[in-house]
Amino acid sequence: MNLSLMSLEISVVALGLVVLLADLWLPAERRRALGYVAAAALGLLLLQNLSGCCSCCVAGGDGTAFGGMFVQDGLSVFFKRFFLLAGALVLVLAVEFSDRIATGVSEYYSLIIFALAGMLFAASANDFAMLFVSIELITITFYILTSFTRGKVAALEAGVKYLILGALSSAFMVYGIALVWGTTGKFNFNELAQVAGNFTDNKVFLFGVVFILAGLGFKIAAFPFQMWTPDVYQGAPTPTTAFLAVGSKAAGFVLLLRFLFTAIPSVTAHWDKLLIIISGITILYGNLCAIPQRNLKRLLGYSSIAHAGYLLLGVAAMTSAGQSAVLYYLSGYLFTTLAAFTVIALVMRHLDSEDIAGLAGLNQRSPLLAATLTLAMVSLAGIPPLAGFFGKFLLLKAVIEQGAVNHGYYCLAFTALVGVVISLYYYFGVIRAIYWSKDAASREPILISTPMRVAIVGCIAGIFWLGVAPGAVLRLAESAVNALHCPGLALN
Amino acid sequence: MTPLAGYLILSAMLFAIGLAGALTRRNAIIVLIGIELMLNAANLNFIAFWRFSEHPEALTGILFVIFSIGVAAAEAAVGLALIISIYRHYKTTNVDEVNLLKG
Repeated sequence: MNLSLMSLEISVVALGLVVLLADLWLPAERRRALGYVAAAALGLLLLQNLSGCCSCCVAGGDGTAFGGMFVQDGLSVFFKRFFLLAGALVLVLAVEFSDRIATGVSEYYSLIIFALAGMLFAASANDFAMLFVSIELITITFYILTSFTRGKVAALEAGVKYLILGALSSAFMVYGIALVWGTTGKFNFNELAQVAGNFTDNKVFLFGVVFILAGLGFKIAAFPFQMWTPDVYQGAPTPTTAFLAVGSKAAGFVLLLRFLFTAIPSVTAHWDKLLIIISGITILYGNLCAIPQRNLKRLLGYSSIAHAGYLLLGVAAMTSAGQSAVLYYLSGYLFTTLAAFTVIALVMRHLDSEDIAGLAGLNQRSPLLAATLTLAMVSLAGIPPLAGFFGKFLLLKAVIEQGAVNHGYYCLAFTALVGVVISLYYYFGVIRAIYWSKDAASREPILISTPMRVAIVGCIAGIFWLGVAPGAVLRLAESAVNALHCPGLALN
Repeated sequence: MTPLAGYLILSAMLFAIGLAGALTRRNAIIVLIGIELMLNAANLNFIAFWRFSEHPEALTGILFVIFSIGVAAAEAAVGLALIISIYRHYKTTNVDEVNLLKG
């Protein structure tokens, strides 16, 4: 047992408990600032992780704990940094949003931190028990976060819809895990990989795998498990939506990558057609349904389905180039999506709904926010030189390279390009509303607090950095996915 | 029929009944009960596989069931709290009448 590997998770859980307890002693008017303290603490943990003083960053620091359930390797380190950054930015956004939460601001912060802890555990999960418990820690926390503004009917409705569909998908997943475990007798991913090849004809085993994939498909909002996404994105409080879009989706992808390529590589190799079809339909569904949307958060919900489809391109390619492209695309998606939701939270402060018409006159009210939202939309659409373009380029490159093996990959790449063209229409509809709409409801300038300004500028810098100088993150992503393919390291 | 197959058929039936209940009933509480049935079908599977496995001395199957029961309890607690808040607003727990968000 090697507890020092888990120091990051333990610190994050402790931080959540401290925030929860601090609520008891702090006077009500100072609780709001607790979010800044928590965000700063997460930032410090991230810096400590980046500076390499903790053992996990050098190759010798890799290892496993709890009999191989918990694995610390390049992939988990990459995702842990990703989640810490997302958590810190979401907490700053939550402070900005806190005046719209009637009671229990500190609980809101600490629930965000507990969801973050679940994501960190998910990044290290190498065992079905870890996978299930970490995914449920994230999901159950998100049920509460979704309906936290319980005076708002939309938030409650979003919470109930998320709960029913989420519980249904986790029931499928547990049943699937039971079947896979029952046929193979293995919980650990590395041990399962050694025997999975013998079970490729076993129907019970394959049923189990499909049920587990259904549970993970729900997390990443892939077709046909995407029904909840637009409703939950629209109804949930904006910081929750932002965290759901970035953190929950990325946690689903790290588990999906580990499950498909570490646990059952011999089964995955036969399933390229299934992945191609799911990826293609998800891209088209998300982009086509986004076109008529007038609510900005709902539009981003459909766009998030489309982006799950783009990310599945890299999974369907089944090469390490595709997997590193997934990691790279997720990094770009983090900055872009958080920037977009930050602007929504600030601009739509006094409006009941997040209608696109509410953006009218944003250019006069706050040029910084107008520029941020424009950049975010341009990056989501995938126009050079921003992060979204380079990510899509890498994903498509990985898919087309595989085209010689199976011509379906060419069709998939074509579908993705069609999706990109469709998406230009609705993303530019948002930009048009910012700069060229006539009747602005309000003309007063929008005040932006200093931490918020730092977060926004950080997101913009991230979008440009990933688009213009992709080398550093790409190298990180490439070394991270190596961990998927050399499970021998995790066995020692 | 081996005893294991009997248990697996029973659990598959439980799972199907739960799924049918979750998909066809309109009352949110009945839907949650259906989902609980599905989770318990999976737990029954675990116990059956564990009992008839070659190594029943390894407790992994039982362990997972304990995790699964704990998680299901947390889910039910949050779920019932949400349904009560919904009832306060809508005066109903019929999921078809909770339809503000659509498009």
